[in-house]
Amino acid sequence: MHDAEGRRTGAAADAVDGVVPRWVAEPASQEGVARTLAQAGADGHAVLVQGGGTKLGWGPRLESVDVLLKTGRLNEVVAHRHGDLTATTQSGITLAETNERLSAHRQWLALDPPDRARATVGGILATNDAGPRRHRHGAPRDLIIGMTLVRADGVTAQSGGIVVKNVAGYDVARLLTGSFGSLGVIVDATFKLAPLAEASSTVVVELPDAKVAVGYAVDLLSRGLTPAALEIATDPLRVVLKFESLESVTEAQAEEAVTLAETHGGLGQLLEVDAQNEFWTAHERRVFAEDGTLLKAVVLPANLPSSLSWLDEATASRGLSYVLAGQAALSVLHLRLTGPVEKQAALVSEWRERLTLGRGSVVVRRATAELKALTDVWGSVGDTFEVMREVKRRFDPRATLNPGRGPGGL
Amino acid sequence: MTPEFIDELEQRIGSEAVVRDQSELLTYESDGLVSHRSRPGVAVLPRTVEQVRAVVRACHEAGVPFVARGQGTGLSGGALPHPDGVLIVMTRMNRVVEIDIPNERITVEPGVMNLEVTRQVTPHGYYYAPDPSSQVICSIGGNLAENSGGAHCLKYGFTVHHVLGAEAVMPDGTLVHVGGLAVDSPGLDLLGVLVGSEGTLAVVTKVMLRLLRRPESVRTLLAAFDSTDNAGNAVSDVIAAGIIPAAIEMMDRTTIRAAEAAVQPGFPDAEAVLIVELDGHEAEVAAQFEQIEAIFAKNQGWGVQVARDDAQRGRIWMGRKAAFAAMGRVSPSYYVQDGVIPRSRLPEVLRRIRQLEQDSGLTIGNVFHAGDGNLHPLVCYDDAVEGQAELAERVASEILSYCLDVGGSLTGEHGIGADKACHMPKMFGDDDLATMQLVRVAFDPEGLCNPDKLFPTPRLCGEVPGPYRAHPAEAAGLAERV
Ligand SMILES: Cc1cc2nc3c(=O)[nH]c(=O)nc-3n(C[C@H](O)[C@@H](O)[C@H](O)COP(=O)(O)OP(=O)(O)OC[C@H]3O[C@@H](n4cnc5c(N)ncnc54)[C@H](O)[C@@H]3O)c2cc1C
Ligand SMILES: Cc1cc2nc3c(=O)[nH]c(=O)nc-3n(C[C@H](O)[C@H](O)[C@H](O)COP(=O)(O)OP(=O)(O)OC[C@H]3O[C@@H](n4cnc5c(N)ncnc54)[C@H](O)[C@@H]3O)c2cc1C
Repeated sequence: MHDAEGRRTGAAADAVDGVVPRWVAEPASQEGVARTLAQAGADGHAVLVQGGGTKLGWGPRLESVDVLLKTGRLNEVVAHRHGDLTATTQSGITLAETNERLSAHRQWLALDPPDRARATVGGILATNDAGPRRHRHGAPRDLIIGMTLVRADGVTAQSGGIVVKNVAGYDVARLLTGSFGSLGVIVDATFKLAPLAEASSTVVVELPDAKVAVGYAVDLLSRGLTPAALEIATDPLRVVLKFESLESVTEAQAEEAVTLAETHGGLGQLLEVDAQNEFWTAHERRVFAEDGTLLKAVVLPANLPSSLSWLDEATASRGLSYVLAGQAALSVLHLRLTGPVEKQAALVSEWRERLTLGRGSVVVRRATAELKALTDVWGSVGDTFEVMREVKRRFDPRATLNPGRGPGGL
Repeated sequence: MTPEFIDELEQRIGSEAVVRDQSELLTYESDGLVSHRSRPGVAVLPRTVEQVRAVVRACHEAGVPFVARGQGTGLSGGALPHPDGVLIVMTRMNRVVEIDIPNERITVEPGVMNLEVTRQVTPHGYYYAPDPSSQVICSIGGNLAENSGGAHCLKYGFTVHHVLGAEAVMPDGTLVHVGGLAVDSPGLDLLGVLVGSEGTLAVVTKVMLRLLRRPESVRTLLAAFDSTDNAGNAVSDVIAAGIIPAAIEMMDRTTIRAAEAAVQPGFPDAEAVLIVELDGHEAEVAAQFEQIEAIFAKNQGWGVQVARDDAQRGRIWMGRKAAFAAMGRVSPSYYVQDGVIPRSRLPEVLRRIRQLEQDSGLTIGNVFHAGDGNLHPLVCYDDAVEGQAELAERVASEILSYCLDVGGSLTGEHGIGADKACHMPKMFGDDDLATMQLVRVAFDPEGLCNPDKLFPTPRLCGEVPGPYRAHPAEAAGLAERV
């Protein structure tokens, strides 16, 4: 049975993290989202928001779900103001679909987290997830300029607007970005866009060790090269570069990158144009698409070499193995970890101990229930936790939205 | 403000850090928005975070409001003192805490000037990107609070894109560390909302900033146009060509003449000039430079000047950055407006402003961040002429309504402050404002931290709110459905 909000009883196929929701709602409009939340609030039901469902396993273990709110019917690009380089999309549209539409005017929403054919704009915003080209374009929080959200009490509110520069009022849109659905349901969002580049070149450089690899990356940037992506990856250890610009420019820079690799004792290879897409898909899949624990670690750039060599020793001595890919200059690392669960938990806590607050963090994203039981997935968020809890309490006093699964355990 | 409370403050932080003399307090009665004045109950000039905490705790215990002040260059009355409150002047907290070149970070106290950050790291080949025209005289704390912008924000983003962390004193005196030196910190993005909160959430006592490497190549060019339409179309063509220059700035005849009178940058006498700066890798800059020249030619640009060296580049930017102050050469007084429009609407909105100039009889100079659609109309008036100041304010408000008509914003960088609080209902509905208030009360349940700013209150604005407009995305009509 469906009602106006597309609400029905949950079925086995709706299970999230092994938990079957009591109800599933799939509203087709902003008003529908508002009514769903108001109703859930009145019934005292907890609501879990689902976009593409690609990351719902992330975060602490799920105990039960009263209402699963799916955004899949909110799937429009509302406006593409190509002359202004901005667009407004609904939250349930996938990133791939969005960029397919925007490409009509040779523009794109410059985000490339994995699984773009399934991941939704709302889910990407809620997780503030980004991919290799974060190096040039930033994370979702850097590109968002406006948002419509529905609060836990069913009230709809707007933040920001449609212009790229705007300091009127608090930036509630940025606060919702990365909030893992814990403060409100994102209905639509407005972004600044980027022009699609005329050409791209990919260079893969194999290097002997982490120190040399980071030295190469630093040297490259200090010579004024402007890659769109600057990845460090294992295994084998390599630096992967993507240049995006006019054809003459990407070629010149790619060649310079290959030549420079030699002076660092590395071996650089410029990929054929046709081989690029396949390469980048594989790069992404090696970490994300295979089984294992997913960690996101952020360190200070100068500590990247020592972090990587520590990681080698710490995993080897525990009988763990890992695959890593991340943004070298930003020092944001995505790791897939496999091996005995207790050892994984021990690795996470030891790594956290090495990082003083504000100088890095390790977050467990995807993990088995067993590992989630052994470790705090977020780690400490420091002395702002009370403020975060207060923000959550004000936005969602009855703890309706993704209770216990917000960042930091909110 | 009771003398006992001031005595208490002196007890806690020492009389040397407390200003209670009425005539000395006059120094602080306004920020850059001189039409709003109010003498603070007392001012304090802390040197340490412990002093800031002591003051804030005293205020919290006694229920006394407090307002942080940086260099007082703000243009929206954000640092306007509370007559019964404490003004916390942050200028003595001006130490550079740590320069960390390997990590491309710098940690400073909030009283450090914006340009000082760049000065500190220039020898290492780095700079701090956000460059408000006031960068010589404004503080990093003020920049954080206003989410300040500058000419080079088109490509590099605003203050919010360059602040990684902050230490702050919460309105109850608790010390918190928001964000950090790493690019991401787990938890809610409190930093994202603290930046741009206009001093209403906490007092910031330390700031961690991202530094950028100087680009390999920089090219600056300037061209004249016979109409602002042509110049506006040239801007649209640049964006449409997929080029994001470091900066695209526009000045009109009035501001060109003012700048010439003040600092002689050697600008052509034209209806409009565009200044475009490209930076990055040499090959890319060279290719884009050719595209820009072609776009200028297509839009009847003339008198093209290309900066041959740093000196000429410096002269062009001096002309642009001096524009506000230079208006003093052509008018006894002027009101600086700050509004934003979608960049494709420039020609049309500039025509409306031109018409308003004729109808009102007041000269309106235009100098602005054209690439971002951030307008700064300068409404000239003479205080000596009865009623002109009020007329100027009305004209400036009228321009804001043009911005909102096309889906724009009340402010792109100067903030809402005391000046535009009563305009907020023209851009946001009750529910939008109430949602922002949830943030406010989470940080400051007692409402002591810079009260009467940003939000419209019946006390400030009377009971009649302005007309609410639909969300700009629906209302603007410029939305192309795809
Ligand atoms: C098993 C698994 C495999 C994965 N595989 C890959 C992979 O191969 N490659 C890859 O990169 N990534 C992978 N991911 C991550 C995923 O692709 C994310 O990058 C994506 O951005 C999440 O988007 P989503 O629409 O799927 O969000 P969801 O997973 O549906 O939701 C993510 C979070 O956002 C919240 N949320 C969603 N929509 C909204 C909204 N409208 N308003 C408020 N909150 C909202 C949810 O409540 C949840 O907290 C995987 C994740 C998992 C768990
Ligand atoms: C000639 C001129 C040109 C200008 N050009 C630009 C420009 O190009 N771009 C631009 O964005 N702005 C510009 N401005 C505006 C102004 O310089 C900026 O808003 C600047 O950031 C204010 O800094 P300040 O130190 O003077 O802050 P103040 O004016 O003292 O304060 C501004 C706000 O910040 C708060 N604040 C200050 N310090 C702290 C702190 N430590 N903790 C918490 N809150 C704090 C205050 O409460 C207030 O709300 C210009 C101003 C002038 C006069």
